Amino acid sequence: MGKFIIRRMAQGVLVIIAAMAAIFLALFAIGDPFSSSGDKVVPPDTQALLRSKFGLDKPLPLQFVIYLKNMFTGDLGIDYDQRRQVSSMLGEALPHTVRLALVAIVLDILIGVIAGIIAAVFRYTFWDVLVTILTTLALGVPVFVLGLSLRANVTGHFFFPAVPRSAFGEEPFWLAEVILPALALAVTDAAFVARLMRGSMLEVMRADYIRTARAKGLSERTVIGRHALRNSVIPVVTYMGIGFGTLLGGAIITETIFLYPGVGLLLFKSIQNNNNPVIMAVAAFAVIVFVGLSLIVDILYAYLDPRIRLS
Amino acid sequence: MSTKSVWLRAAVGLTVAGLALAGCAKKENTGTSGGNQGGNNAQPTAGWPETAEVKIQPGKPGGTFRQGLTEPTAIDPVNAQESEGINIAQYIFTGLIKVDPDGATKEGAATKWEPNNDCSEWTFTLKAGAKFTNGEEVTSQSFKFAWEREAAKASASEVAYHMEPIKGFKELQDGTATTFSGVDASDPGKLKVTLTDPDCEFYLRTYHTVFAPLPKVAGAGDNKAFNDMPLGNGPFKMAGPWQHDKGIKLVRNDDYAYGQKAYLDAVEFTIVPNGNNDEYDGFNNGTFDWARIPVPALTKARSDNEPKSQWIRKNTNGINYLLPMLHEKPLDNVKARQAISLALDRGAVAEGVFKGSQIPATSFVPGVFKKAYQAGVCGFCKFDLEQAKKLAQEAGLTPGTELNMQFNSGGGHEEYMAAYKQQLEKNLGLKVNLTAVQFKDLLNNEQAPHATGLYRAAWGADYATPGNFLAPLLSCKATGLDDPSDLSKPVVGDNRARYCNKQFDDLLNKAKASKSEDERTKLYQQAEKIAIGDDLALIPTFVRTQNRLCNTAKFINCRMDFNENADISVISIK
Repeated sequence: MGKFIIRRMAQGVLVIIAAMAAIFLALFAIGDPFSSSGDKVVPPDTQALLRSKFGLDKPLPLQFVIYLKNMFTGDLGIDYDQRRQVSSMLGEALPHTVRLALVAIVLDILIGVIAGIIAAVFRYTFWDVLVTILTTLALGVPVFVLGLSLRANVTGHFFFPAVPRSAFGEEPFWLAEVILPALALAVTDAAFVARLMRGSMLEVMRADYIRTARAKGLSERTVIGRHALRNSVIPVVTYMGIGFGTLLGGAIITETIFLYPGVGLLLFKSIQNNNNPVIMAVAAFAVIVFVGLSLIVDILYAYLDPRIRLS
Repeated sequence: MSTKSVWLRAAVGLTVAGLALAGCAKKENTGTSGGNQGGNNAQPTAGWPETAEVKIQPGKPGGTFRQGLTEPTAIDPVNAQESEGINIAQYIFTGLIKVDPDGATKEGAATKWEPNNDCSEWTFTLKAGAKFTNGEEVTSQSFKFAWEREAAKASASEVAYHMEPIKGFKELQDGTATTFSGVDASDPGKLKVTLTDPDCEFYLRTYHTVFAPLPKVAGAGDNKAFNDMPLGNGPFKMAGPWQHDKGIKLVRNDDYAYGQKAYLDAVEFTIVPNGNNDEYDGFNNGTFDWARIPVPALTKARSDNEPKSQWIRKNTNGINYLLPMLHEKPLDNVKARQAISLALDRGAVAEGVFKGSQIPATSFVPGVFKKAYQAGVCGFCKFDLEQAKKLAQEAGLTPGTELNMQFNSGGGHEEYMAAYKQQLEKNLGLKVNLTAVQFKDLLNNEQAPHATGLYRAAWGADYATPGNFLAPLLSCKATGLDDPSDLSKPVVGDNRARYCNKQFDDLLNKAKASKSEDERTKLYQQAEKIAIGDDLALIPTFVRTQNRLCNTAKFINCRMDFNENADISVISIK
C-alpha cells in the first residue's frame, strides 16, 4: 500500500510540473506584457528596465526553474500590474471561492439528490416527467444567461445586495452575497446530479437486496432511505468531488457577473492585463487541487479495492 | 506573429465577448480609448451634439460623490499611468501646472514658468507657504526628491520616461547616478530644470502626475505603505489606505493652497471589474453618481437621461484613424491612400453602425484644440466614389488587389471594420483580408519589418498640445530607427507608418524652438497640412467623443476634467 501511495504521489508531482511547464509556455505565447501601454509603444529602455525588474531578461528554462524553486518556498512572485505579492492576492481571493464552492455544492446536493430520488421513486409519473423536463432545460441554459438574468432581475431586491454595491456601505451578510452566484453555478450541476441520481437509484432499486428488504417487510421509507439511497449515492459523491475541485479553480464567468471577489474574478482581471504571474499562480493552484483530489480518490479506491493497487 | 489564438485568452475572450463584458472592462490609457466614439465641430448636423458647457457656480461644502472605478495599476505618482490611476493621483497631488477641461494651462504649484532663450533651461517659481497634508512645506526640494525617486532604476517606473528630456535622466535610469543633474533645487522657491533636448513646450509635460511633488515620507519608489496611501498637496487626501479590489476613499483637503478648495466632503470610488458595464448598472441602481456607458447602451442611456439633464457628451482629446503602411505596396503611393480614404463612406458607418453616436473626422488634430483645429484639412476625408476610382486606377490599385487590414478584437471594433472592408470591396473592387488579433499583437504587427496594409488605431495626447498628435506619430525620430526606410528592422517608436518628411520635421523643430504659442500653433497647422492634407500619412476616421452620466438631482457643476474623469474639484451638492 505504501509503495502504491508513493508511486501515485510521484506521478502527481510529475503531472503538476508538466502542466505548469505547459502553462508557462502558453503565457509567453500570449505576448509581451511590457511592449505597449494602451495605444502607445513603451520606450525600449523602459521595456528593458521592466524585464530585468521582473526577471524576464533571463533565458526561458532558467526562468521556469527559478519559478518552481520559489514556488516550493511559497513565493509566487510579484504581479506585473500592481507589484503585490501574488501569494497574498491568491490568499485573499481563496476564502471567497471556497465559500462559494461549498454553498454551490450544498445547493447541488439539496436540489439534485432530492429531485433524483423523487424521479426514481415515482418513475413514469408526473413528477418523473417534470424532473426530466426541468433537468433538460437546466442543462441547456448556459451559466451566463442564468447569471446575467439573476443579476439584472434579482440582485438589489429582497435581502440580496445590489450589484455593483458601494464598497463603503454596510457589509451584507455573507450568505446573502453568495447565494445567487452559488445558485447560478448549482443549477446546471444539480440537473446533472439529478439525472445521475435517478439512473443509479433505478439500478439499485432493481437489485436483489432491495427485493429482500421489501420481502422482510420493511417499510418503503426504510427501504429507500436506508438501503437504496446509500448504495446509489456513490457515483454522485465521486462526481461532486470532481465538481468541487473545478469550482475551487475559480468560476470565472459567475464570479465576474456577480463581481464576486474570488479566484475566478482574479483570473479574469489578470488575463485582461497580461498579468502573467497571477495567471500562472491561479492555473497552478487549479492543477494542484485537481491532482490532489484525484490522488485522494485513487488512494481511497485502492484501499477499498485491492485489485487496483496490484495492477 | 499574426493571429495567435492562445487557449486561455481565446476561451475567456469568447465567453466574455458573449457576455458583452469585454473591452469595456479593460483599463483605459490616459486620453486614449478602445477608441470608438467620434464627433466633429465642423459638421454639427451629423450625429449627436455635444452637451452645453456647464457654467461653474459657487458650491457649498458637503456631500459624498460616489463612482465606480476599474482597479488602477498604481495611484502613487511613481507608476500611476492609465486613466484610473491618474484620476486618483491628479486629485491627491497638484503639480507645477493645472490644465482646464478645454486644455488651457493654469497655475498650479508654480505661479510662473520661464524658459531661457533656447528653451533648454526652465525656471519654475513656486507658490510660497503651500503645504502637504502632513504639514511639510512644498518646496523645490519636494520636486527634486520626487523626480529622483520616480526616475531611479529601482523604482522601475513605467511612466518615468516622460522625464526623458531632462538632463541626468539616463544616468538615473541605468543606476549610475542617484541625483538628477538637470534639476536644481538650491533655492526653495525656484525649481530650475535643464533639458538635453530643448523644448519650448516642456512645461506642458509637467501636468503628468509623474512630475508631482512628494513629501519626504514617500521614501523610495517601492515603499508599499506610501504606494497604497499617497499623501500630497492636492484638493483631496486619502481617507485611509487603498483597499485593493474594494475601494478608495478621498476626503477634502481643507488646507488646499492652490485656488478654490473642493466642495465635496468625500469621494468614494468603488472598484468594479467590468468597467463601464458595472458603472452604468451602478448608476441605474443608485449606487453611483457618475458613470461611463457601454456602447450598446448609448442610445437608451441618452434617451433616459438627456431629458433629466444627466447626460454629458463632449468631443475630447483623441482621434480614431487607420494606420497605412507607407513603404510597402499597395499603400506606398499617396494616390492609393487618397483613393482608400475617398472610398470610405464614414457618414454611412456613423449612421448605420453607430446610430449617430459617432461623427466623421476631417482633421487629425481634434477640435478640442480650438486654435489649432483645422476642419477639413484632410481634403480626402470625404466620400467621393468617382474621384476614388480615378485615383485608384492611377495608383495601380486595380480591382482584385489584395489589402491587409487588421484590428484588435474585444474592443467593439468588429462591426465597423467589417463595414470598411465591405465598402472597399464594393467601391474599389479590392480583396480585403480583414483579421482580428490581440491588442498587443496588433501593435507588434504594425512595428514588424515589411508590415503592409491598414491597421485600426487611436491616439490621445499625453500633454495638452497639438504637437503631441504629430511628433510621436509622424516625425522621423519617432520611428526609433536611424534609417526609417530600412524595412528590415522593426519600428521601436510610435511612428509605425514610418512617415519621414524633412519639411514636416523642420516645422515641428521650429515649433519646439518657438516661445510664442500662436506661432507654434501656426507651425503645427502647416505640419498637419503636409502630413495629413497632402501626404495622408494617417487616415482619420472618427474624432473621439465621450459620454457620461451624472446625478444632477443631487449635484451641480458636473463636468469632465481634461482626463475625461469627473471633475471632483468643482462638483458640489445642490
